[in-house]
Amino acid sequence: MAGCPLGINIPGFIRFLREGKAAEAYQLIKKNNILPSICGRICTAPCELRCILQEESSPIGIRALERYASDYGRGKGIRNERVLKGKKIAIVGSGPSGLAAAAELAQRGYQVTVFEALDEPGGVLRYGIPEYRIPKKVLNQEIQEITALGVEFVTSAFIGQTHSLQQLSEEGFVAILLATGAGSVKFMDIPGSNLGGVYYGEEFLIRVNLAKVNLLNRASADFFIGEKVVVIGSGNTALDCARSALRFDRKATMIFRKSFDDLRVRKDEIHYAGQEGVQFEPLVKPIEILADQNNFVSGLKCVRMDYAQKSGQQGWEIIPVPDSEFIIDADTVIIAIGHSPNNLLQSHFAVGLLCNDDGTIKVDVQSGLTSVPGVFACGNVVTNAGPVVDAIASGYQTAVKIDAYITNHNNQQELSSQYVS
Amino acid sequence: MKYRIISKQIVASDVKRLDIVAPSIVKHFKPGQYVSISPEEGCERIPLSIIDVDYDKKTIALIFKEVGETTRKLGQIPINESVFSILGPLGQPATIEKKGTVLCVAAGIATAQMLPIARAFKNAGNKVIGIVGAKTKKNLMLEAQMRLVCNRIFITTEDGSYERKGVVTNMIERVIEQQSVDWVYAIGSVDMIEAVTRLTAEHHIPIRVHLNPIMVDCIGVCGACRVCVDQREVLACIEGPEFDGHKIDFDYYRIRCNAYEVSQWNNEKYMFSQKRKEEGIFRKFLTGILKN
Repeated sequence: MAGCPLGINIPGFIRFLREGKAAEAYQLIKKNNILPSICGRICTAPCELRCILQEESSPIGIRALERYASDYGRGKGIRNERVLKGKKIAIVGSGPSGLAAAAELAQRGYQVTVFEALDEPGGVLRYGIPEYRIPKKVLNQEIQEITALGVEFVTSAFIGQTHSLQQLSEEGFVAILLATGAGSVKFMDIPGSNLGGVYYGEEFLIRVNLAKVNLLNRASADFFIGEKVVVIGSGNTALDCARSALRFDRKATMIFRKSFDDLRVRKDEIHYAGQEGVQFEPLVKPIEILADQNNFVSGLKCVRMDYAQKSGQQGWEIIPVPDSEFIIDADTVIIAIGHSPNNLLQSHFAVGLLCNDDGTIKVDVQSGLTSVPGVFACGNVVTNAGPVVDAIASGYQTAVKIDAYITNHNNQQELSSQYVS
Repeated sequence: MKYRIISKQIVASDVKRLDIVAPSIVKHFKPGQYVSISPEEGCERIPLSIIDVDYDKKTIALIFKEVGETTRKLGQIPINESVFSILGPLGQPATIEKKGTVLCVAAGIATAQMLPIARAFKNAGNKVIGIVGAKTKKNLMLEAQMRLVCNRIFITTEDGSYERKGVVTNMIERVIEQQSVDWVYAIGSVDMIEAVTRLTAEHHIPIRVHLNPIMVDCIGVCGACRVCVDQREVLACIEGPEFDGHKIDFDYYRIRCNAYEVSQWNNEKYMFSQKRKEEGIFRKFLTGILKN
């Protein structure tokens, strides 16, 4: 139970499931986690590492049980009667942390509006994670439940560009929460990264997710993917890209600088990807993307890496093996080496919003406030990178802080008005 | 209804103009900005420059050439129907200041993008000299509007079917020789703006160029619109689309513009992907039926 960042009562819901009460288990999870069916699918499951059976054999599949509970226990939830406080709160970004904060604040009686730049709410859950990991149907259900709590969604509103924060506070929002995430690409400094057929992981996934899927064209790509796809990167995004490419009937190879043991991905995900047919090339570093005569990708020049003792120091480091350069035949290269917050956008948000060097927003740990009064930030825009479950937890914690801030503010105002009278 | 089309015109061959009701965009519009538009649900999103706004009717005007699937779909939407989604205004507005004599260079479809910028320069008190290029007379558009906006206008057609024969760069040379120019603004194809930039570098005139790279989501997520400015990769959708012309790496930009051209794909690969698409549809139709 201590392993879950959200503090879900894990023994409790497993006990309910053992008695066959899926609905009760679902209700119990829902108390702490507003997106159980999404966490049940893509959570990195830190709880399983803390499971007592971990040392003996393998841990209890808590994630799978959560998914079962959310798929089969979903029913008419008992909604708490909420007392409306008549205060409006704006949340920028409808990703996991934004949704969690919106649900929590709505339950506490605030009038919450969530702003999303693209067509439908969901953020990275809709546009950054492919259909086979989070079916759009499941996501729509979750968002519907959040809408039922009284949260309003405004789409096609790109805060910082089409609306400014100034404008939002003029419209009567007493607090603004920035949950914009870390969605911008991190450029890779490699010759040939501008060639045709080179996609960044975000572009590839957004194109896959925007593609219309219906009975007639089941996931046919409307952009160009060559026969041999090479994915550079070792994270979840890289794995998603490789497995999506397989679903378009292409050959996918993943190359990364680390060894298998150092990957930050769940072991079973790698296992599934391997079974589906993704080729892995560990300990390989790309050095150049080769072009053909039309400036499209024709291959990828790589060098093998190996562990070596650090010169004059303790420990190991990964260095290139001399004379081990080789060329991987490729038509399409997908670069998925990481994200960073959209730091240019943050300078547009408001004058005086302070950022750290890596583009994340500076936040006061105690109060959750940024350098602008009344503006909060949570999720990956603060932490730069992290799993979905941490983003949700951050959304909850910040929601509590916002509630405290507004209550304090009110009390102070009342005090001062009494003083005046 | 949201984003209703209230008027539709054919401006030149294959070029259409739509007037779409979008009050929130009209309120924030500044010249040089664009919108990201998706005609139907599940369609690709494309960036289109805002040509004009009508503050009374609360409409924005978009001009586009029907070349791809998405633009064709957009052109097929009848009057009084609505577009699925529009996000905007996006991008940085053009830098409009009082400079003196401003040379506005545009060719082809980019004439439409130039119109609001030239108008803004005029309103800021500049002397605006317009140089407009087109392939033939048939492709020339917005001639009357440009004539109204510019103090002087030179029109060139490549085959000489209208006004002067030649390309815009020849005309610029002549204008620069005749009088002093303080500021140049260029929109057009890669080759054209590169030639214009080289010309202005010879005469030491500052230039701003408006780039049109491929964009997917237009909110700085995908990185498809990356261009190299001042030896630094930047996203044109957020930091652009206007840049200092002397700092742009045009080779990089040319490859990026080329990267999505179907015909430029290696022939073998292109045939492969087309074959895949046709095969796929039937097979996936069958599996779709079996699965549902």
